[in-house]
Amino acid sequence: MKFTIYQESRVGQRRNNEDRIAYSYSRDALLTVVADGMGGHHHGEVAAQLAVQYLMDVFQREAKPSIDDPFLFLQRGFNNAHEAIIDYSVAHGLSDSPRTTCVACIVQDNVAYWAHAGDSRLYHLRRGRVASVTKDHSRVQLMLDDGLINEAQAAIHPDRNKIYTCLGGFEAPEITFSRKTPMEAGDLLVLCTDGLWSSVSGDTMNAVLGDANLMQAVPVLMNMAEQRGGPHGDNLSMIAVRWEDSYSDDPSSSIQTQAMAQGEVHTQMGQLGPLGRRQDDGRPDLSDDEIERAIAEIRSAIDKYAKP
Amino acid sequence: MAQQANVALVPGFSFEGYRIERQLSVGGFSIVYLATDGEGRQVAVKEYLPASLALRGEGETRPSVSSEHLPAFRYGMKCFFEEGRALARLSHPNVVRVLNFFRANDTVYMVMAYEEGRTLQDVIHKHRGKLTEKFIRGVFVRLLNGLREVHSHKLLHLDLKPSNVYLRTDNTPVLIDFGAARQTLASDSPMLKPMYTPGFASPEHYQNRELLGPWSDIYSVGASMYACLAGNAPQAADERMRKDHLVPAMARFEGQFSDQLLETIDWCLCLNHLYRPQSCFALQKALTETPDPAQLATKRASWLSQLVDRFRKNSTR
Repeated sequence: MKFTIYQESRVGQRRNNEDRIAYSYSRDALLTVVADGMGGHHHGEVAAQLAVQYLMDVFQREAKPSIDDPFLFLQRGFNNAHEAIIDYSVAHGLSDSPRTTCVACIVQDNVAYWAHAGDSRLYHLRRGRVASVTKDHSRVQLMLDDGLINEAQAAIHPDRNKIYTCLGGFEAPEITFSRKTPMEAGDLLVLCTDGLWSSVSGDTMNAVLGDANLMQAVPVLMNMAEQRGGPHGDNLSMIAVRWEDSYSDDPSSSIQTQAMAQGEVHTQMGQLGPLGRRQDDGRPDLSDDEIERAIAEIRSAIDKYAKP
Repeated sequence: MAQQANVALVPGFSFEGYRIERQLSVGGFSIVYLATDGEGRQVAVKEYLPASLALRGEGETRPSVSSEHLPAFRYGMKCFFEEGRALARLSHPNVVRVLNFFRANDTVYMVMAYEEGRTLQDVIHKHRGKLTEKFIRGVFVRLLNGLREVHSHKLLHLDLKPSNVYLRTDNTPVLIDFGAARQTLASDSPMLKPMYTPGFASPEHYQNRELLGPWSDIYSVGASMYACLAGNAPQAADERMRKDHLVPAMARFEGQFSDQLLETIDWCLCLNHLYRPQSCFALQKALTETPDPAQLATKRASWLSQLVDRFRKNSTR
């Protein structure tokens, strides 16, 4: 598995950042999650944090090295994160449950699986076109689907930020799943919050990210969105993934997972402000347990590939 | 940093069903022993023992690792596992086979198949410059079969050189020592930076490591072929980057080997990785092309007629 990934989250013009982003990968699977805590409700960032953290924790436990059923993983993950948010509000005696949107994507065996609840989006960009984009769970989107308004009207509709489902809250979340989407080399997956997509279109994403180095292009796109967001600009976050063939020309910032141990998982939680490259410094040393596992894995590979 | 030599396990020492016969080689990170297994078969046992981090004294079996060095020691072990993992998945007649992997004496061991033979390095030394074109083509075409298998598993050897090419008694080559085989993912720990043999490592080995690819192993193949003609390693790539003194094979050995072989060697030794053959297959294709028979004939001609030929060539230009 080989890919380039870059994530960034910014506070925009708000007082605090209620967006949370993270990615994690094992040898054979990649999980990316973007959650946008809802400002109208208390502790939006708590809900977003719980959702991201929960999905990351489960992924680290289950991706050894691949996920058995990615859609089932996402479904359970979303529902359990929803429950965890409610548990949190009960435990802390909150009058209302915090809420968050969530979009998450798993790529494994060159196939992408994603799911979302709310209005955080996933754009699948291929060869300069928007191959697909998630449909927001918003009334405006429903009106758009029914032909009551057009795209231009939707973009300025006063209720454009109102969503009818999310994680947390009193109703079970409505989750929309993608199709199984085979990935081609060069395909881009962009997961983002409304702070980004309301200011830059999918075509703009294509134009800016294109073949560019994601470490440079993502901040450019974020600058653009932040500027267009104006004086009351929302939090804005995105994770961009470029799927690659092995031995691409510019593997400088790409991640190659071939030599990772079966149970090894690397996780990068998003932080505020621009993030540097993936840091491995925090990785703990090899434990005795990991040594035993590595040896067992090598031995089973020897047995498997040995000639009779 | 001064590196103390580690004491090798003594002949006759038995553990995990293997009995040490003698030491075969010692490197910066490991010691390789010839041993016999429970069924009396000869095997090569590679012991992870980085000289800069672990110290084993006279009469001891367990190395002592200071707490300060423990993280690096464990990190290096991870790389050793990567080598094991890489090799375990490969099953190819031209790639050394891993038979077992175990933990003992506070470190880890990899058991590999051992066969009678000698390294290409030994052969080059013995025949200094007298290797035939047929031998070179034969060895390297088959070696590239093994390397192709390695690359098809998305691995790079990264330390290809004549001493890592083992020749069985029938001259079929086997790729050994994948100690440097690791991917860009593993960032280099300063204590465990792989030490490359000058002359065989590509320019990307020294700088721009993100450019490492099959073409980097191909540079090493080219350098090894050059060594077969010259009897010693070509100028190291990092020096060549500063000032290139390497005489192209075409200029140095013209007339002694076919132009096509010499051109192929020079092709592999391009400093710019994009100008080299990009895959083992491309190089193999070049090496299996039959050279012009007239070209081969000049090889047998005496030095005098070679000289005359050269004058003739020059005068007709």
